[in-house]
Amino acid sequence: MMSQASIDRTTGPSDNRVSEHAAESTFREVDDSNRAIPAIEFRDVTMIYDGRKVLNNLSFKVMKGETKIILGGSGCGKSTTIKLVLGLLKPDSGQILVDGEEVTNYSEDQMTRVRKKIGMIFQEGALFDSLSVYENVGFKLHEQGVPEEEVESEVRRMLRFVNLEDAIDKMPSELSGGMRRRVGIARALVGDPKIVMFDEPTAGLDPPTARTICELAMKLRDLEDVSSIFVTHEMNNLDYLTSEYAVVNEAGEVVFEKEGEKLCLINSKVLMMRDGQVIFSGTDESLRKSDDQYIHRFLRGH
Amino acid sequence: MNIFTRFLLELQEMSLLVARAARGLFRKPRYFGETISQMDSIGVGSLTIIILTGFFTGGVLTLQTYQTLASYGAVDQLGYLVSVSLVRELGPVLTALMVTGRVVSAISAELGSMVVSEQIDAMRALGTDPIRKLVAPRILALIITLPLLTLVADVVGIGGGWAVSSLLYGLPSTMFTNSVRDGITTDDIIGGIIKPLFFALLMGTIACRKGLKTEGGTVGVGRSTTSAVVMASIIVIIADFILARALQLILGTQS
Repeated sequence: MMSQASIDRTTGPSDNRVSEHAAESTFREVDDSNRAIPAIEFRDVTMIYDGRKVLNNLSFKVMKGETKIILGGSGCGKSTTIKLVLGLLKPDSGQILVDGEEVTNYSEDQMTRVRKKIGMIFQEGALFDSLSVYENVGFKLHEQGVPEEEVESEVRRMLRFVNLEDAIDKMPSELSGGMRRRVGIARALVGDPKIVMFDEPTAGLDPPTARTICELAMKLRDLEDVSSIFVTHEMNNLDYLTSEYAVVNEAGEVVFEKEGEKLCLINSKVLMMRDGQVIFSGTDESLRKSDDQYIHRFLRGH
Repeated sequence: MNIFTRFLLELQEMSLLVARAARGLFRKPRYFGETISQMDSIGVGSLTIIILTGFFTGGVLTLQTYQTLASYGAVDQLGYLVSVSLVRELGPVLTALMVTGRVVSAISAELGSMVVSEQIDAMRALGTDPIRKLVAPRILALIITLPLLTLVADVVGIGGGWAVSSLLYGLPSTMFTNSVRDGITTDDIIGGIIKPLFFALLMGTIACRKGLKTEGGTVGVGRSTTSAVVMASIIVIIADFILARALQLILGTQS
């Protein structure tokens, strides 16, 4: 399944306006052979913590190139879900599949291999305090023993992606909250993972910075064909991610367009959780039409 | 869960932590740089407090025992008494306790803060095992530096004893040094080095375990640091007794 935004560029009326460079970066060749296999799949996952069911028979799929927005109040099991994907926690029952591979009972060593495919963005950035921005972003490459010149060029490329190249020599304590999250995103994207987890990346940020973080997620989804889980409880994140898509314009710049008559986004789905259970799964349009009282209150705040 | 079950569970977790850290030492990537920097902060960083502790402990030993020895007419045994007390007992235990206060608390607080700010999870998510990267170098650095610090404390302590005996009581230097040389045996020195090896292993394991299982935000960091220091101090004292008895049996020395 190709992202709908990209399809629109090939068939839409604006097609002839796309420069060669833009077309090249937008339409990266995609290996279609195993796109039917979900990037992430949960099958009846249950997790008990301190005698309480944090997750109760949770099942869902995230297809390749799709962004799954997980909504829910605090403590409903959202963050636990993405930690389970990475094997940072282990479920009490059920199965977890990453790229069709069952990872439920993998040891820490086996998980290390799986984690290479996945990038994770933590709530507060989770930067290593004792390391500079450069060392934080280059952490994975330094651990793999990659030569210093390659590390530097990759770190700079990633920092350019999040628009923070100037901060390369700073320490995490010198950065603002939003900058820390962006460095966290750059660090998670080293090695171009095809699956990315966002754990409430915009919590506590001012609206423009939160918007920037959402734009990064949209760029990954629409231009890099990344599958992702985006955990949030902020409604404006949901609006951005389900109503806009990233494209490259004639000048080679990334711009964001609203879905409308010419395109309907199908690569963003919503999953709503409550007390460790899925209470809604589908598109944002059907979420807004839902009769459920809890969903109503959640969307409107009253 | 009763206390006994909790104790066994904790013991199991600590043993597994040590086993995983030990396995990590023999596999790539190896963290030599990390170990060296830990040795620097643990060993070199603790040198000042160890020198001060050793010097004044040796001094006070002389101060407290001189009169008693003089009343028995055994002042010529002063060096023997001071050096044996230091090398067998006070050197290893006091060094371990001082390092516990300075290093165990620091390790536990550092790892605890990394847990609550999700840095440990981030490290695992980036494909690095925190036990190999953080735990193994710290325990290894403690095992290497604690015996060396103990030796420093012993030597400086004997120096402190000598200083007090000759400067305060006017005892001839040769009488003190001869009694040190004649009194102390190789077994005493070996025993005095074996003890800190075990202490270091116990202290490092407790510090890392307590730090890594921190829960409950910054309050939790304080809690785990306190409990690491308390537990390490008590375990050092208990282990000292067990080791002293074991060394008596193995080396045939009498306390």
